[in-house]
Amino acid sequence: MKNVLYILRIVGTLFLITALVAAGLAGVNAITQPRIAEYKAEKMEKAMKEVLPEGENLNAVAFTDETGMVNAVYACDAGFVVEVAPAGFGGTISMMVGIDMEGAVKGVSIVSQTETAGLGAVAAATTSSGQAFRDQFVGLSGTLAVDKDGGEVDSITGATITTRAITYGVNAALACVRNLG
Amino acid sequence: MKIGKMFKEGLLTKNPVLVQLLGMCSILAITTSLFNGIGMGISVTIILICSNVLISALRKVIPSQIRIAAYIVIIAGFVTIVDLALQAFLPELSESLGVFIPLIVVNCIILGRAEAFASKNTVAASAMDGLFQGIGYTVALVIMCVIREFLGAGTFGGGILNGGEGIRILPEGTPAMMMIMPVGGFLTLGFVVAGFQWLMKRMEKKKKEAEKK
Amino acid sequence: MNPYVQSLLGILLSAILTENFILVKFYGICPFMGVSKKTDTAIGMGMAVTFVMAIAAAACWAVNELILVNLGLEYMQTVAFILVIAAIVQVVEMFLKKAIPALYKALGVYLPLITTNCAVLGVALVNVQQGYDFLQSVLNGAAGGVGFTVAIVLFASIRERTDRSNCPESFKGYPLALIAAGLLALAFMGFSGLKIF
Repeated sequence: MKNVLYILRIVGTLFLITALVAAGLAGVNAITQPRIAEYKAEKMEKAMKEVLPEGENLNAVAFTDETGMVNAVYACDAGFVVEVAPAGFGGTISMMVGIDMEGAVKGVSIVSQTETAGLGAVAAATTSSGQAFRDQFVGLSGTLAVDKDGGEVDSITGATITTRAITYGVNAALACVRNLG
Repeated sequence: MKIGKMFKEGLLTKNPVLVQLLGMCSILAITTSLFNGIGMGISVTIILICSNVLISALRKVIPSQIRIAAYIVIIAGFVTIVDLALQAFLPELSESLGVFIPLIVVNCIILGRAEAFASKNTVAASAMDGLFQGIGYTVALVIMCVIREFLGAGTFGGGILNGGEGIRILPEGTPAMMMIMPVGGFLTLGFVVAGFQWLMKRMEKKKKEAEKK
Repeated sequence: MNPYVQSLLGILLSAILTENFILVKFYGICPFMGVSKKTDTAIGMGMAVTFVMAIAAAACWAVNELILVNLGLEYMQTVAFILVIAAIVQVVEMFLKKAIPALYKALGVYLPLITTNCAVLGVALVNVQQGYDFLQSVLNGAAGGVGFTVAIVLFASIRERTDRSNCPESFKGYPLALIAAGLLALAFMGFSGLKIF
């Protein structure tokens, strides 16, 4: 009998603690959830605006993609915004590519990444070198390649893999828009 | 309660990182910029104080067989609260620290202090212990960050000062990039711990000599 | 080659070599420093971790997909995962004790330490972040464990020598071990960029 009571006490205490923690987290989540969602939506919107400033009333459209990197394509009168996710050095890089009606890149923005700080992460930084890296894609079209592979894209020092991944992402976006016609 | 002694223990003689070598995953992984180091240090300190206080308050209620499981649940709760709060209010920091915020759950410092201190002492003493150990951890993180950022990126205060770029000390191109890569983490911590051991021994020696006289 | 098979091979390669759990991603440093004084114990620890990581990756995937996502409780991930891992470690310990005493004798002492090994929780969280399916998750867990074993066994054999070496007194013990680990990490950097395709 004593044994049963003891087990009940152990199970009860653990259950109570877990329940309290869960209740506390539900409360905190209720406060933070809207803000997190808002921040994410804001970030996506900002990235879209950045890569295609003239873009208004963007609508998701159906697309064909052979690379498996394209997540979504949005179209409007001014051009397209393609959401691509190539594999970088430290994981998936989530990025947006804006493409105008002529099929040339209007802008590249990196929404989230887990590249090495100070190296690959420069590609997404708001610093001048990060901005310069992303701006070099503007106006380009066709199929791009990194300078190490004999192409036109200047890679970030010490982060060829990141640069290559982003270039592949841009290529996938360009190809996808070409397929749309 | 000897606050002075506890402060000295947390910061020097029993520094969680430099002496006890606890919580090294985060120490090695995120100390690449000052912003990361301070953010991580403050997060861990807050969690450490909260979990120490709650565990100390419940120390007579929790049966000893399940104490570790109970501690882990409590710690995981506080970690998630901090994680959600960072995501909502400091998204840049949350993105930069990534998975190492939820991994604070298994940071040995927190479970270690719960087991070694909070489960045996009063609430007030446990809160103090959490604060001082947290400060000791933060100081070690900041030392690592400053060294690695200086050698690896050539800047100071990356992520905070000068609009996020940090103040450039070494010209671009000269820093040894290796120092902000994993290798640099191990090497820097090795040298910092060695330097710290040397300093402690010297202090002890001086103290002994002073006593002799 | 089938892209899915390719992704599986990619996970295997990166977890063991290019993004080795310890030397590149820094998961599980505590046992890496603590249980690496002898090669035999390092092998034992590595095997125990690999075993638990594979099971934990599977169980956490199931808990996340079947329970948390359906109920909209994603914010409980960390709490749920650590509870699942603690429970798995307990069950594995009891099961081994009864069913395979020989294996229990070899791995038993390391099992309790695994609950607080961040490699195990780390792999569960990374699997969710990367959106891996069941097979990919389990593979990432098992391969991560193998990567852990490779690193800890290599490191232990280095430490067996450095511990007996002559060096400045301040460097004795952990500092020298950390520097040795740094050089090992440098060697593993050579794998970065390695791709089979």
